Amino acid sequence: MLNKDVSKWKLNKKAIFYISVLILLLIELFPIILVFLTSFKSQIDIFNANPFSAFMPTLDNYKEVLIDRTFLNNLKHSMIIALVTTTISVVFGVMASYSFARFNFKGDQKIGLAILASRMIPPITLSVPLFLLMRKVALLDTYFGLILAHVSFIMPYVIWMTLPFFQGIPKAYEEAALIDGCSRFGAFYKIFVPLVAPGLVVSATFSFLFSWNDFLYALILAGSELKTAPIVVSGFIGQFGPKWGSMTAAGSLILIPIFIFALILQKYIISGLAVGGID
Amino acid sequence: MLFRKSIIFSLTLLMILGSMFLVFGSVSAQDKPYEGTKINVLVWRDAHTKAVKERVSEFEEMTGIDVVIDDLPTQSLTQKMAMNVTTETGKYDLVAVDEPYVPQFAEYFLDYKDWPAPKVMDGKIQLSEIPEGAVTAAAWNNSIKGLPINANAYIMIYRKDLVENKENQKAFKDEYGYELQAPDTLEQLNDMAEFFYNPDEMMYGYAPFTVKSEGATVEAMWLFKSFGVDILDQNLNVVLDVDKAVAALDYYKKILEFGPPSKLSMGHPETIQNVNAGNVFATLQWPAIIAGHENPKESRVAGKLGYPLNPEGPGGRAAITGVWSLTMPKVSENKQAAAEFAYWWGSYESGKELVEAGMSPIRKDLLTDPMLQKDHPWYKSVLANLDKAAVHRPRFPEYMKVSDKVQLYFAKVINNEMEPRKAMTEMKSEIENIIEEYKND
Amino acid sequence: MIKKLKNTIEGSLIKWGFLEKKDDIIPYAFLAPALIILGGILFFPLVYSFVLSFFNWNMTQSGGAEFVFLDNFIKLFGNGAFWHSVRLQVLFVAISVFLELLIGLGVAMLLNHNFAGEHVVRALLLLPVFILPVVSGLTFRFMYDPQYGAINWLIGLFGFNPVPFLSKSTFAFVAIIIQDVWRMWPFMFMILYASLSSLPESPYEAAAISGATKWQVFRHVTLPMLKPSIVIAVILRIVNALKAFSEIYVMTNGGPGDATSIMSIFIYKNAFDFYEMGYSAAASYVLVAIALAFSIYLVKTQFEF
Repeated sequence: MLNKDVSKWKLNKKAIFYISVLILLLIELFPIILVFLTSFKSQIDIFNANPFSAFMPTLDNYKEVLIDRTFLNNLKHSMIIALVTTTISVVFGVMASYSFARFNFKGDQKIGLAILASRMIPPITLSVPLFLLMRKVALLDTYFGLILAHVSFIMPYVIWMTLPFFQGIPKAYEEAALIDGCSRFGAFYKIFVPLVAPGLVVSATFSFLFSWNDFLYALILAGSELKTAPIVVSGFIGQFGPKWGSMTAAGSLILIPIFIFALILQKYIISGLAVGGID
Repeated sequence: MLFRKSIIFSLTLLMILGSMFLVFGSVSAQDKPYEGTKINVLVWRDAHTKAVKERVSEFEEMTGIDVVIDDLPTQSLTQKMAMNVTTETGKYDLVAVDEPYVPQFAEYFLDYKDWPAPKVMDGKIQLSEIPEGAVTAAAWNNSIKGLPINANAYIMIYRKDLVENKENQKAFKDEYGYELQAPDTLEQLNDMAEFFYNPDEMMYGYAPFTVKSEGATVEAMWLFKSFGVDILDQNLNVVLDVDKAVAALDYYKKILEFGPPSKLSMGHPETIQNVNAGNVFATLQWPAIIAGHENPKESRVAGKLGYPLNPEGPGGRAAITGVWSLTMPKVSENKQAAAEFAYWWGSYESGKELVEAGMSPIRKDLLTDPMLQKDHPWYKSVLANLDKAAVHRPRFPEYMKVSDKVQLYFAKVINNEMEPRKAMTEMKSEIENIIEEYKND
Repeated sequence: MIKKLKNTIEGSLIKWGFLEKKDDIIPYAFLAPALIILGGILFFPLVYSFVLSFFNWNMTQSGGAEFVFLDNFIKLFGNGAFWHSVRLQVLFVAISVFLELLIGLGVAMLLNHNFAGEHVVRALLLLPVFILPVVSGLTFRFMYDPQYGAINWLIGLFGFNPVPFLSKSTFAFVAIIIQDVWRMWPFMFMILYASLSSLPESPYEAAAISGATKWQVFRHVTLPMLKPSIVIAVILRIVNALKAFSEIYVMTNGGPGDATSIMSIFIYKNAFDFYEMGYSAAASYVLVAIALAFSIYLVKTQFEF
């Protein structure tokens, strides 16, 4: 009798737990669900406040966004910029981080502090001087200019994130390699890098996401020829009229790579968040 | 192991995604006078410029000029322009400038009279082809700084179908003692807004424009001017009449009662939604957006709207203009080709086609064309309002600072956070400070 | 070839007294690419804008810049609108980060045991953190609409009148905080969850033996052990919240009136609406100073050289 009650109570407790998790997820994901739902609605159905009321699903919004290639082009720009930014930031950032983790040298504290602290500078501060500067050297509206701007906040992030990780890797492996006649760079490249590969994936993932999501620099430094996807998305809600359909369709498309990353690399992303935070 | 797999997987995915975007082709033209010339054009983004973008290939084929059109939402556009025209590098050959920013950047633009004559197009656009109220929008220091291209005026639209309804007419006459017709005065507008206001049926009388943006300044200026209030005079003296401004705001607060629930944060998206859903009786709107209201695919009120002269207030009728002009930065390196494009855009022949694609015209011959008027009933009203009621926002290089203060105090009053009189007095003194500082610099 | 180059450079650096012995160059060689890039695009602009803050320069006027020394700062500190933006910024950061910590910690405690679907739940909770802020801001603007918005539809289901979220000063401020909390509490959750699951068992066993209640265990065992992670998570979030811009820009543009004009909006307005470059540089240096104060503390506790 008593036993039955206890097991029933346990079952109930489990049920309550799962229901509360479900409610939590529903609330938290509601806006995202709404974006996806809206992207399949016609302009007139969007007027209905109840987001779950019956509507005729349509692919018109996606067609409109994709048909004239402009948005695909913008996605391409975003992709190229994010990939190159990631490569530069990770390669050079990891080298710098390695230097801090492995050597004691004159000025290492000051340089390290300056680089790490600079990550916290609000980008709005840098946007004006960066603009004026790039104007001087004719880098406005170029891939290279925007990539450099992204590197300016992503590389410090990479250093920030990989440094504690590197410090945790024992020196013994590289020392053995050095004794075997490997050069310093050889030891770094052949021994150290494979050891820290998981950390590199995390920092690469984040670098990609931050560059992919950047709005301010893209707004100020890039023009027609390399407009990135976020700028285009915000443009759907303007004087043009509320193109909620197009906005949500484009927004959903931008979310896709993020979904993929979040699902595959979840474990690494969480460890990365714990160390480096978010930009 | 698992880790390596996920790397390979994500890399493959990236590569697939990346290669999706790499298929491109380009069209090459032959034997054209401007073969190989490329011009960069910076424009605002709405139905007007979308039409131009759609049809630009015709111009490209005719001349061999490669036209790169960069369209941005209004706010980003101004910033982009500011950063580009003030440099020596001069990426853009033509830049669309909204009326209030003309004085701010005037010194960087070539006067229209100095624009080169065309080689391919028939001739320069004569400014006499354009309504005078629109031409003056491009003027600064006694010269015209560009080619006005979009006859934008903030005009009244109302639900004609509701006004023509017999039952409504009878009920209205019983209640207010005069015939229901297109609102001709602000008082009538207020009566009708009250009459049609029925929140249970999601029906509202008047859709205001109140969200923090330049649009709110326009709404406030329309209101002020209708009550005879100016902010600045020609010589940059602050002439704001606090009593009249308070009367204007009192009126506005009254009609706000009949606004939709989002009345205190309404911007373009909210207004367009309300009008298209058939939820408001009347509002003020820009012609470029009206085309969308008349599009049955987007709107439930297509064919049901009327376009009167803007209603008369104690200070007369006011239609705030927001005319876009094509300007040519002095640093442009392709002035000849850029001019050709502007003349094409502004010509009667291409205008006729562009109108079909959704452009809002500025030429008198297009606005008065009876065929076009049939499909675009608001053209008449645009022309009449430009003719009889055109009002420009204060013309002054640091206008944006004034606009910012107008938005601030306008919001404080309608949100009931500040007494109208106190707000107007403070606004006046803040604007005086701005002017003083400007004069001292 | 490379070796020769290395030797030459090293030789001259030692001769000039920069280095003491051979091979001291190696750490600098690893550092060099990063330093060169960051020097050009990070430190130089920073110095540039610092210098700019002593000039009166309206970019749209061809007159050029005029040295005014501290005038910009004096004008700034005498400007009520600036102090208003500072106050809003502080409130915005304090309230959002506090709420995020509460929710994040609560949910981390709730989910702190193994259950089926754990991974899926965590992956789904990650999504808001990485959503484009612009999309988030626009979506919330859409949801807040009193007529067509989903939030007010929900409120209506419970029989309440629609709330004009973005219309009233207080509501609008609450609205931007809700948006921020929605997007960022999972960030707190992730950090605290990771930290919770790696806590040692023994203090809990000891607490169980001494018969402590659940609350006591939480208060005297869990919380003290979590404290370092909490501090780091909070500071990371504070500095991140100081950067908030695009979502507010698209949601309210600082309105109604100036009810949501936090510092980044103030700076943006002065730089890119009024083109007062010197004045906005001065304002942004105040923001930098606040952000740096937090981050230097964070760097010093989190890293050792």
